[in-house]
Amino acid sequence: MRRGDRAVGAAFFALGLSLLVSAARFPPGVGGLPGPGFFPSLIGAGMVVLSLALLGSGFARRARPAPAQHVENPHRSLAGLGAAVALTALYLAFWDEVPFAFRTALFITVFLRSQAQPWRASLQVAAVVTAAVVAAFEYGLRVHLP
Amino acid sequence: MTGFEFLSGLLAVLQWDVLLFLVSGALLGAVFGALPGLTATMGVAVLTPLTFWVSAEKGLAMLLGIYCGAIPAGGIPAVLINIPGTPASIATTWDGYPLARRGEAGLALGINALFSLFGQLLSVVFLAVAAFPIASFGLRFGPAEYFGLALFGLSLMAGVSRGNVARGLLAGMLGLAVATVGLDPLTAFPRYTFGNTEFFDGIAFVPVMIGLFGLGEVLARIGAPAAPNRAVSLSLGRLWPTAGDWRRLAAPGVLGSGIGTLVGAIPAAGGDIAAVIAWEQTRRISRRPEEFGDGSIEGLAASSSAANAAIGGAMTTMLTLGIPGDAPSAVLIGALLIHGVQPGPLLFHEHRPLIYSIVVLMILAAVFTAVLGLAGALPLARTLRVPDPWLWAGVIVFSVVGAYALNNSLTDVWVMFGAGLLGWLCRRLDVPVGPLVLGLILGPMMESNLRRALILSRGDWTAILGRPLVLLFVLAAAASLLWPLWKASKDRAHSEPAASA
Repeated sequence: MRRGDRAVGAAFFALGLSLLVSAARFPPGVGGLPGPGFFPSLIGAGMVVLSLALLGSGFARRARPAPAQHVENPHRSLAGLGAAVALTALYLAFWDEVPFAFRTALFITVFLRSQAQPWRASLQVAAVVTAAVVAAFEYGLRVHLP
Repeated sequence: MTGFEFLSGLLAVLQWDVLLFLVSGALLGAVFGALPGLTATMGVAVLTPLTFWVSAEKGLAMLLGIYCGAIPAGGIPAVLINIPGTPASIATTWDGYPLARRGEAGLALGINALFSLFGQLLSVVFLAVAAFPIASFGLRFGPAEYFGLALFGLSLMAGVSRGNVARGLLAGMLGLAVATVGLDPLTAFPRYTFGNTEFFDGIAFVPVMIGLFGLGEVLARIGAPAAPNRAVSLSLGRLWPTAGDWRRLAAPGVLGSGIGTLVGAIPAAGGDIAAVIAWEQTRRISRRPEEFGDGSIEGLAASSSAANAAIGGAMTTMLTLGIPGDAPSAVLIGALLIHGVQPGPLLFHEHRPLIYSIVVLMILAAVFTAVLGLAGALPLARTLRVPDPWLWAGVIVFSVVGAYALNNSLTDVWVMFGAGLLGWLCRRLDVPVGPLVLGLILGPMMESNLRRALILSRGDWTAILGRPLVLLFVLAAAASLLWPLWKASKDRAHSEPAASA
């Protein structure tokens, strides 16, 4: 069984079903011809059928243990990932609140620190990347970055 | 082809500012290609926003430079540290790295650069020669044929989704579903817009691409186990093959380029598949097959030329039929649309000089990249020492700002962020991202053409399927989906007795 056959199958089954239900609420086409819900319902039906096939194969096949991978510290990479997602979300959430250059430099510094980079390198990279983005977009392409 | 149109296309690109964009693109592409974890697709997606405010020629020059520069540069880490810089360089590791370990890293990099040039040039010749007849043929297509073609393209992408057709198809359907967001193309009824008027025109393609291939790839890398330290030897030796080497390399180069061009022209089959097929076919006809995988210069020439020849093949399919040949060309479609250029048969009638401009730009990009590969191999190898987190920080910020710059819209940035999370989840769960992108591109084409065809046939499906070309596309789509299933069951039947024995 491939990684997450059941989870992937279940997620697509739910999505397919919701497409079918929502498409049924769209107005019908005129004169028996396909309306706005026609294509989404086709996709939804296809998704339901295929996800059931995937679910079926997931249950039918005996689960085999995944091959052992050498991971130095799996929690560390997961923590790094969580930090990256949370920091990016925060970076976007304060889009209109904090000036771009400061917010970007702060984001990069904290991001690099969360990836175990030294302070000095983090600050240097933050300064260089922020300057490059401001130069390219604000001054080069005249994009106002709030 | 008229001389005036060719001259017009040539003159449009032979200007210092256009060439500057081309050179910048090729340099950036080389960096994206040379650094494992940054791919050609990511380069085109993340850097597309830099071309929003310039003319189509300059924008195309930069994007083609990135595309044509990244693929050959992907061979540099493949040779030096046995890690392909882009998926197209996977087969380059098989002979390039053994050559480097024998102390012939320079020769391996030289062959990679020269045969990348050879492959790209030969495939551009194919583009120049074959594109116009294919586009003329495409002009005969009606809505039903376009629907069949889109179905065939999607099935091919799912069919080559290594190992699991169901997951590939589901990913394609997810792309189709995302493409239905916005006003219905025929009745203007709003679908899945949740009252947000910014979604009336549909989900913007470029932010999704940036998210899937920029942020999504970075998140996948961060969540993956730490890569081993990159110990790069910077002593290369001679770069240029000897006369004896050239005699051995000519046939693999031609064979690799031919296979690469044809495989690249097949929707969804990119440089990675082309290079593997070319390497295997060259090994079969070689007088020294035992050297393949152990530092064969013939194997290296075949894989490098094929990986790069796939560019011209993919561009041919993309420009003539509007169906991307591989992931970078899928992203290029979005970029072209931003510049008001709609790929497809009509492009060859409405913007003929632009086609010649593309051909000239690809030739110039190939030549510049080869010079860069020969003269700049050492500096590019040094970029391998840049720590991954520094690159990730840059890619995230460029992804955010690039998505914002499209429409000065924070909604686009959140769409990019969502697409990034989706891209990470897909990679985590082995759901291929390629079919998702193809579904997103082909969705509007499939839906509007299918519905138009049904209107024209008054709802009669048999009239649609009765058209010879449509039937051919549908049968080909079925075959491309059933072939991997049949092959998998055959492999299982072979492996089960062996396992029980």
